[in-house]
Amino acid sequence: MTNTLLSLNEATRTVNSGSNKVTLLDNIDLQVKEGEFISLMGPSGSGKSTLLNCIGMLDSFTGGGYTFLGEPVHSMKERNRSKLYKEYIGFVFQAYHLIDELNVWENIETPLLYKNVKSSERKALVADMLDRFSIVGKKDLFPQQLSGGQQQLVGIARALIGRPKLILADEPTGNLNSKQSTEIMELFSQLNKEGVTIIQATHSEKNASYGSRIINLLDGKVVS
Amino acid sequence: MIKSYIRIAWRNIKGSPLFSSINILGLTLSLAIATLLFLFIHHENSFNTSYAKKEQIYRVISEAKEYDEKLYPTAAAMVAPTSVIDIPEVLDAVRLYKHGFGKSAYISTGTSEFIESSLFYADSSLFNVFDLKLTQGLVDEALKKPNTAIISKNTARRYFGTDQVIGKALRVDNRTDIEITGVFEDLPSNVSLDGNIYISFATSFFAKRPTWSNISLETYLLTTKDVKQEVLKDKLVDMLHKNVEEESRWYTLDLQPLNEVHLYSSHLESGVSSRKGSIEQVKSLTWLALLILVIACINYMNLTTARSQKRAKEVGISKTLGASTKNLIARFYAETGLITAISIILGLVLAFIFLPMFNQLSGKEIPNSMLTSAVFILSIIGVWLVSTLLAGSYPAIYMSSLSAKKILNGGKVGSFWATNIRKGLVVIQFIASTVLIVGVFVIYNQLKFIQDKDLGFDKEQVVAISISGIRQANTVDLLTQKLEALPMVSEVGAAQGYPGKSVSGRTVSNPLNTNASLAVQTNRVGAKALEVVGLNFIAGKNLPMVKAEGDSLIEVVVNKKITEFLGFTPEEAIGKNIQMLPSDNAYIVGVVDDFHYASLREPIGAYAFHNYPSERKEFLLIKMNVSDLSQSITQLDETYKSTVPNVPFDYSFLDENIEKLYIEEKQTATIGMIFSILAVFVACLGLFGLAAFTAEQRDKEISIRKVLGASVSGIVKLLSIDFVKLVAIALIIAFPLAYYIMNNWLQDFAFRINISWHPFVFTAICALAIALLTVSIQAIKAALSNPIKSLKTE
Repeated sequence: MTNTLLSLNEATRTVNSGSNKVTLLDNIDLQVKEGEFISLMGPSGSGKSTLLNCIGMLDSFTGGGYTFLGEPVHSMKERNRSKLYKEYIGFVFQAYHLIDELNVWENIETPLLYKNVKSSERKALVADMLDRFSIVGKKDLFPQQLSGGQQQLVGIARALIGRPKLILADEPTGNLNSKQSTEIMELFSQLNKEGVTIIQATHSEKNASYGSRIINLLDGKVVS
Repeated sequence: MIKSYIRIAWRNIKGSPLFSSINILGLTLSLAIATLLFLFIHHENSFNTSYAKKEQIYRVISEAKEYDEKLYPTAAAMVAPTSVIDIPEVLDAVRLYKHGFGKSAYISTGTSEFIESSLFYADSSLFNVFDLKLTQGLVDEALKKPNTAIISKNTARRYFGTDQVIGKALRVDNRTDIEITGVFEDLPSNVSLDGNIYISFATSFFAKRPTWSNISLETYLLTTKDVKQEVLKDKLVDMLHKNVEEESRWYTLDLQPLNEVHLYSSHLESGVSSRKGSIEQVKSLTWLALLILVIACINYMNLTTARSQKRAKEVGISKTLGASTKNLIARFYAETGLITAISIILGLVLAFIFLPMFNQLSGKEIPNSMLTSAVFILSIIGVWLVSTLLAGSYPAIYMSSLSAKKILNGGKVGSFWATNIRKGLVVIQFIASTVLIVGVFVIYNQLKFIQDKDLGFDKEQVVAISISGIRQANTVDLLTQKLEALPMVSEVGAAQGYPGKSVSGRTVSNPLNTNASLAVQTNRVGAKALEVVGLNFIAGKNLPMVKAEGDSLIEVVVNKKITEFLGFTPEEAIGKNIQMLPSDNAYIVGVVDDFHYASLREPIGAYAFHNYPSERKEFLLIKMNVSDLSQSITQLDETYKSTVPNVPFDYSFLDENIEKLYIEEKQTATIGMIFSILAVFVACLGLFGLAAFTAEQRDKEISIRKVLGASVSGIVKLLSIDFVKLVAIALIIAFPLAYYIMNNWLQDFAFRINISWHPFVFTAICALAIALLTVSIQAIKAALSNPIKSLKTE
């Protein structure tokens, strides 16, 4: 039996551009169950990233309802919202977005700092993660010293360290070659089997095929 | 968490060495300057605070309002003993008389001679009032008997090579034999009491004939606790009225609390302490210190936010990883705290290195130990906290408020407000720098005006030799002859004093109007002395060169002020009797044009030269006919030594003595000048940061323009014009401000320059040139960059 992780109910996102109102997301209805692996597809500008950002609570819908684990995100205060995403959501970016000034170990550790995890526990968790991704030997290197694929591995490790229920990945393989892409997608697939819910935005049919469900977006609307 | 903040901060510092070093350099310089200035201010404020009974000590002030409108920090010899007896609130009193009314003393130890500039006669109550401690000798006996003295440890070593000097003898001015009965610890540099030797008051001639009329003694009263100054003052005045008849009462008494003695005495005639402070100087340097700190903090904000594009990514990522705004604010403060801490430590090291130089510039003796005093360390920690809070505020608040989504989607940071705040900061910085430059310029011009002003006499190439230690008149004559025979000497004249040095104060009365009197400076001179200083006669002639034996006629040369007071034209005044000296037989023989015998701060008053033998002639004024004075001094010295072997050679140059009148302005100007240049330099670092930021902000625009065919010079112009506008705005605001402040400062001088347009034009050109230079370095770099690179990252 599977629980509903999040649901969108006529979720809308508009921005004001000068005097015009531009609709980025238009009445999206979406149910995501725990353990799903969803691929968002669509051409550039169709609203994939906006949808991911809004689901990830970096941005908010301007209309409609958004419920996450039964809690109404749209009517939540900023503080509670941040607590929610700190606890349950991990991000993976196309450009990896590792902190250049921190080494691999420290980059992975960072989310734990913001969750006020104790030092000894942090050490254990990061060590586990390094082990699991077989990057123990690279723990003291800085992002610039890694290949793109390795950086994305670190990015995923960092997203996973807080044991999130949901991973949001915005074109995670966009900057990688095909071999690295395959490795990363295999990893996602593996994680999904372990129970992590994943929503990825992608242009690639091949990557999308790793998912359990594909949602097509066009001009901010779901077309399926 | 904090550890992680500091780690990131440290790597950020290391990661961009250019920016970090510019930032740290700016802060370090500013903090070093601020440290020195705060040391100075702290030192000045700490004056006379070390005494246990400091709240109960007052200095007696004599107000000669009706006589010459002056306030003297000294009192008559009768004031101290009478007040102890008559006024129950006065527990004790001490009188200090500086040897020879402030002249240097000649000290002979039997084996060697010294010139002592800090010799006093003091009551034994000195120990009670000022907690003076003896390291040798007995306090109960010291300064009681005539012809005994106590001496500071350092002075004892200077004279005798040892501080075991009890029982040793000194001879003062080849006349008075003194026995040393005590040695005291060297006086700290932050007390007004600055004697090297204190001789018992009983030795001085004031003890033999104490009067109510001669006010030459610095007098301190030790009072009971909680006595009101006003009440005490009234009792002092009552005492004066009881003891002095109304017609001979030419002054009244007032009090000054000890804590005001050092800094709040500029309205008084000069006191005996060589350590003079001025609250004006302290205030202007406090402002300078604060201004420099503000410039440094603004600088930090500019340089830090200038890198916001790079740092923004980090902020964005941290936010998606769960960092709250509070976390980020804490992080940026941690970073600011780290950088300011590094800068403060470096600044302290710099301050320590430059303290001796600063002491020389400011004419103070700030000890190194003050750098480690608790108050100072606390205030440095305070400065660290304040500058961290101030400098870190804008970066922390601005950076932490950036939207993660926007940054990570590759958007540019920097809203309308953010950009304008940064511009506003640069404008403020340039206003501060401009005010500093204009201020220094005006001070410099005023000092130059003083230096170049025709003072009405000839101050160049005149040497004054002290002859007060020579007791025989014929030795002086012999010395005069020998000096005149030297080839580089053109004239030698003897005088009581000379312009720039205070002489005797008397009054001249108007025979037509018996109530009117005028305060006058009188100087007993030989006729030749007037020729040496080259005064400009407008009527009559000089004093007679030779006076016949038994000639009781007294000749007087007056300045124009006196003839105006008497109601004569200069020509009419010749041959008129003048009521000024204690003789009815004085007649005006010559009138000289008004000349500046004192500081240009004061208007010219009445001045008269006479040959009445009421005062001793203490100086030989020598007119040299060579320009290299330092060379010829050795020859004067040799001639002097061969004639007067037992009195040390003590000389000064007339022009240098005049310059000493403006020493405080000079110090403030020099310190201000150096620090202003540094402040402008620091401001330029900030501008550099802003230019870098703008170039970064606009790199896409620049690239597109280049692709469309813009030339390098066109782009440099595009980037620079904005800054020129900022500097122009700053100048427009700063100029009236600077004019107002400096005009105020000039009001202290009776003779002053008008502020011309020169400093403003000079400053404007300087500011624009420096700004353009700084900005164009960045602009050229941006203009030369490869447009494809920045377009591709989009």
